[in-house]
Amino acid sequence: MVLAGAEALSQRAELVNELNVFPVPDGDTGTNMAMTMKAGAAELRAKPADEVGRAAETLAKGLLMGARGNSGVILSQLFRGFSRAVAGQRELSVPLFAAALQHGVDTAYKSVAKPVEGTILTVAREAARHGTAAASKTADIAEWMDEVYRKASETLARTPDMLPVLKQVGVVDSGGQGLVYLYEGFARFLLAGGRDERETAGRLDRRPEPLRVGPASAGRGSAVETAISVHGAQAGLATESIAYPYDMEFFIRRPAGPGRKPFPEAAFRRALEKDGDSIIVVDDGDIVKVHVHSRRPGDVLNAALPHGELTELSILNMKDQHRELLAEAADRRRGAGTLPGPKREAAPRPPCEAEPLGLEAAGGLPAAAEPALLAGPDRLETPHPAADEMAPYGIVAVSVGAGNEELFRSLGVDAVISAGASMNPCTEDLVQAVSSLAAEHVFLLPNHPNVFMAAKQAAELTGRSVTVLPSTSVPQGMAALLAFREDDSVKANEDRMRAAIDKALAGQLTKAVRDTNVDGVDIRSGQYIGILNKTIVAAEDGVVEAGRALLSRMLAEGDEAVMILTGEEADPACTEALVGWLGERYPRAEVEVHAGGQPLYPYWFMVETL
Amino acid sequence: MRPIALVTDSTADIPTDVREALGIEMVPLGVHFGEEAYLDNVDLTPEQFYAKLASFDGLPKTSQPSPAQYCEVYKRLTDEGKDVISLHLSSAFSGTYQSALTGKSMLEDEREDAVTVLDSKTASYGYGMLAVAAAELARRGGSREEILERIAKLKAETKLYFLVDTLDYLHKGGRIGKAAALFGSLLNIKPILTIDAEGYVTATDKVRGQKRAFARIVELLQTAFPNGEVDLAAVVTPGRTEMAEELIGLLRDKFAVRKFTRSAIGPVIGTHAGPGTVGIFMTPAGLM
Repeated sequence: MVLAGAEALSQRAELVNELNVFPVPDGDTGTNMAMTMKAGAAELRAKPADEVGRAAETLAKGLLMGARGNSGVILSQLFRGFSRAVAGQRELSVPLFAAALQHGVDTAYKSVAKPVEGTILTVAREAARHGTAAASKTADIAEWMDEVYRKASETLARTPDMLPVLKQVGVVDSGGQGLVYLYEGFARFLLAGGRDERETAGRLDRRPEPLRVGPASAGRGSAVETAISVHGAQAGLATESIAYPYDMEFFIRRPAGPGRKPFPEAAFRRALEKDGDSIIVVDDGDIVKVHVHSRRPGDVLNAALPHGELTELSILNMKDQHRELLAEAADRRRGAGTLPGPKREAAPRPPCEAEPLGLEAAGGLPAAAEPALLAGPDRLETPHPAADEMAPYGIVAVSVGAGNEELFRSLGVDAVISAGASMNPCTEDLVQAVSSLAAEHVFLLPNHPNVFMAAKQAAELTGRSVTVLPSTSVPQGMAALLAFREDDSVKANEDRMRAAIDKALAGQLTKAVRDTNVDGVDIRSGQYIGILNKTIVAAEDGVVEAGRALLSRMLAEGDEAVMILTGEEADPACTEALVGWLGERYPRAEVEVHAGGQPLYPYWFMVETL
Repeated sequence: MRPIALVTDSTADIPTDVREALGIEMVPLGVHFGEEAYLDNVDLTPEQFYAKLASFDGLPKTSQPSPAQYCEVYKRLTDEGKDVISLHLSSAFSGTYQSALTGKSMLEDEREDAVTVLDSKTASYGYGMLAVAAAELARRGGSREEILERIAKLKAETKLYFLVDTLDYLHKGGRIGKAAALFGSLLNIKPILTIDAEGYVTATDKVRGQKRAFARIVELLQTAFPNGEVDLAAVVTPGRTEMAEELIGLLRDKFAVRKFTRSAIGPVIGTHAGPGTVGIFMTPAGLM
């Protein structure tokens, strides 16, 4: 079922991509979600399980490490919660499925510092709520899933009413759309009686028209991504509840016989709520399934004992789970399975590809993980100094293009994650990069609005001291590095780098991928558009004209320092024309040109004032 | 009380006319372009040096004066009945100070007591100006103690910032100190350098482009001297007078400066900092 869902999502990734608010070529929510799901599915294929609890755990781990893009991170959190709720279960019943969906929603909401309505979160929440209600009406899991899917779809259609930016642009939320496709895949698979996912998937409409509700306008990425980039500085994940470290799961076997009293579910929940959260109580009659994160595991057991015999007890310290994830990431970095131990199977891991493009439109998922990709050596050219050589600081930057990578290294970056065309490394890439540094504190520069959440998630997973800075472009990341000082404190450096990011003027020039209208400016597909920080300020047919228009907006005094990073599509004649024009128009400006080598963006600019 | 004579080495970058007028003794370092050997500031002027540097493949070598050179100067001055204060380039950059110490130890005991050798822990006109101030005080009849105290106080209160075109020269010469982390940057970064209390080169800040660098230096000096009253602003460059004048113009806008001086960075410092170097030494009012 999961594989069918992943496949359904993967097939329509491009459609989801088209829902991005900005008409830029690297709008890729669909790709991100599909790649995230693919990583989970690959993990599942690598470690097949008969029991739903085990399978969900495997899936959740794959998703967590494979998460890329903000919507991908949220997806991974939905399934993380789901897996907790079904832990220890052999089969998925309707009530359990419903409870698990709800737990997933709770987990995902908790993981986002400022949840925004009208996004994937809303779609997931409404679907789960409906699922809980529907669970009392049907025991047919296929029928039930179809209900959930329909509710998700309905909610998606209402997202433009909840989030103004969507209405402006005339799209539904892209992350929400991705989730709907996923649920659709689940439902179709179940309705088809659990037949082979490819056969089922083959019947899916290949190109249903994505829902649009009006003329297009401003904003960037999915609604979640827009909101995140706006609140970038404050947004953050709190994936582990430090307040309630003990993750408890067990069953209460209810006494048999006619004299049995009904289980007092509400009162029991209240008892758990005193010192816990993430509470799931599923009363199946003979068995009550209990899940809680608690501060006082003894109290929980005492509260449960009067209601029956306790079985299949599991009490985990969630801090240990963190450490395990860390250790696994470290194992993979060194070459999996070198350390003995029950928790460290040498099982193949899902690939976490650098290039999120090139999805098979109809061919289905790869049969298994490709071991060659496991450690991702192409992307992680990190030295691995001994632990006793801890430097005070390490810096990780996400970048794209060989020239930009060189520039970052020359600015003192220890690990450059060379992302694909659309700048979306998965959580695992980031975890590995951070873990590879023998440094007491690590600064992580995501350099793309859509990498921020994955960076936050990775920072938490490593358990290291990491500051994720809100840099949303490569030029901004470079500006931040100029403010870095090795001999300053963590706090002082963070403040300086944040201030530099705020102050830097970052310009990006790319080709519009569809017709739209932004702030009264008509943009035609194929035109060059200039983006200043987060706003489209220029649209011209010629790349030089667009560059001039963008730079005119960036230079006020005329004596600024201008850095030009040329992309792989930049024509040297055009670059020369731009530099010549700058020299004539702004003779006092200090201009430097570097071959950045980024795809999709012929030019990136950074302008610094005095 | 015996009169005081000042001795420096040639890296103090004191203009020749000033030095001769004040009777400051200068012991030259050696500069070698391959087989060709020159004496710094004696048979090789800064202008000649930078012309040669531009056409020379590789870096010239520099050599510290021998202890015997110092010993000879100290002997001559003490023969004249003078006490000696000998002020030298930071020992973090050069063995010049050590060589002077050795030269002093080669004197007989009573003469040795007459010679004080100091590690300035700074470079160029940063200690040139200390020697000038000391010589002026000596002329007015200041005692050895008074002069040493003046030197220490001036040194402590003077702010120094300098820019280099490229860190290549400092790096190749091994004089990059704590600014090493900045070496190798592909961007046009202007590190704002200073010399710390131990006499090592260290980076205070880094900005892109020379205009921003000058602006930042002015800001840093304004923070250091909030009332804007300055006795001396000494700008040093290897003959890049337009750069010196640009910086002086910026300083004039923000500070009440009693005296501006301009001096040429000599061949030895030029070799290790590079031809695009510009430095500013600033002393607050009330010390001179």
